[in-house]
Amino acid sequence: MITAERKPLEELIEYIKPFKRILLLGCNECVTVCAAGGRKEVGLLASGLQMAMLKNGSNIEIRQHTLERQCDPEYVEELVPMIDSADAVMSMACGCGVQQVAMRFKDKPVFPAVNTTFMGASERQGVWAERCQGCGNCLLGLTGGICPIARCAKQLMNGPCGGSTGGKCEISNDVDCAWQLIWDRLKALGLQDRYLDIIPAKDWRSGGGSGPRKIIREDLAE
Amino acid sequence: MSFQKRLAAKEFAVLAEMHTPKGINISRLVNDARRLKGRVDAVVVPDMDNGIMRMSALAGGVLLQQQGVETIMHMYCRDRNRMALQGDALAAHVLGIQNIIVTGSEDMSESDHSDAKTVNDLDEVQLIEALMTLQTGKDMSGFDLDGAPDFSIGCTIGSFADDKGRDEALLATEAKITAGARYVITPPIYDVPASADFLSRVKELGVPVITTVFLLKSLAIAQYITNSDPGANISNELIRRIRKSSNRELEGIKIAGETIQALKEKTQGVLIQTLGWEHKLPEILDVAKI
Repeated sequence: MITAERKPLEELIEYIKPFKRILLLGCNECVTVCAAGGRKEVGLLASGLQMAMLKNGSNIEIRQHTLERQCDPEYVEELVPMIDSADAVMSMACGCGVQQVAMRFKDKPVFPAVNTTFMGASERQGVWAERCQGCGNCLLGLTGGICPIARCAKQLMNGPCGGSTGGKCEISNDVDCAWQLIWDRLKALGLQDRYLDIIPAKDWRSGGGSGPRKIIREDLAE
Repeated sequence: MSFQKRLAAKEFAVLAEMHTPKGINISRLVNDARRLKGRVDAVVVPDMDNGIMRMSALAGGVLLQQQGVETIMHMYCRDRNRMALQGDALAAHVLGIQNIIVTGSEDMSESDHSDAKTVNDLDEVQLIEALMTLQTGKDMSGFDLDGAPDFSIGCTIGSFADDKGRDEALLATEAKITAGARYVITPPIYDVPASADFLSRVKELGVPVITTVFLLKSLAIAQYITNSDPGANISNELIRRIRKSSNRELEGIKIAGETIQALKEKTQGVLIQTLGWEHKLPEILDVAKI
């Protein structure tokens, strides 16, 4: 999923200061799972903003709404009946959702309430870790199901670098050495020979090297 | 007189562009530079900004300085992060290159290494700011330098296709000047009277304006530029002139020389681009009476 973290309240107040009526939007997808911008967080932020603004002597009206999926134009259409009664929109969705709303309602200021962070997986309750950088040409089949691009600090495709200690990366004891994980996994699978195969210089065109990417499925596109 | 002194004295400056080799054979670069010594004020050495992997501008610039030719080095952001850019800037100063043009670059997808990873850690405005910061004796992270470099920084106006693009390019250039660029290089000018409005807009930026003059080596190149770069302003008349000529190569040289002459009273200098025909530069200068 796409993970996100809420921006500091002070930054959000700066965005909405000039406005009286705010439409605060949540999203029921990834940001709900990572507890950054779902229905619950929308409620909490609305109270927080209202209290902070009151403290500053200004009264704002915040309407809350959470879309099923903010990156999908079909769901964004739901906002049509409520958009005119708002001076500005604050979105708690990832950057995709924020842009989708901004693109649909061109005359309405739209502000992000979260920092979209990475594509990751849940390690345990309340902990998410980066797992994928969307390079567009997956190497996991060669590296025992562990991504060296997302999980090796140096993005080595022929690692390790030699800087790890006790299976931990030299940048932090909290970060596993991806190449230690890869080696352990290849060994467990009896695929140690694969380690000696040199992975050639990567073609980054599929990873955004050729500019913003787009997928067109001819069988689905209208 | 150095290029900088010439700019300060408001005297017409003549710059020529010379590319480094794609390889290690430097004889052509060095010979071309020797031939031009004393005839141009400085040689501009592009890096890999046009998307062709080649010997770095830093090395090329140093080679030319060793020949007694003042050099202006390109710097751009596609291939190097802020560490590498700052390091190269310090190296340039130490090796005698203080003239830097911060410029844009072809997209990696258009390069001869289209599979490479793009860096773009900084943009042009931020790179100019970084170079300005180095001159204060600090790096971008605020750490003290052991000796501060001194640069003269120029910037370029990106090419544009229409009026809207021109306005955007000028706006972006203004930001580069605010950041610290001391002079500006225009895209190629082929038709001086038709470019009068544009040049007066550029002059409003308040820094010396160096106009680029591009050698049209053949009719095919002139037609290609006309079709692929609608903002280039190559008139039908100019195309006809090249087509009708019995010696198109010489015609291109004459056109470049005449363009330089026409620009003498209008701008602070010219940058002559010959794209591989650097050996023709003396002939162009002869026509331009320089």
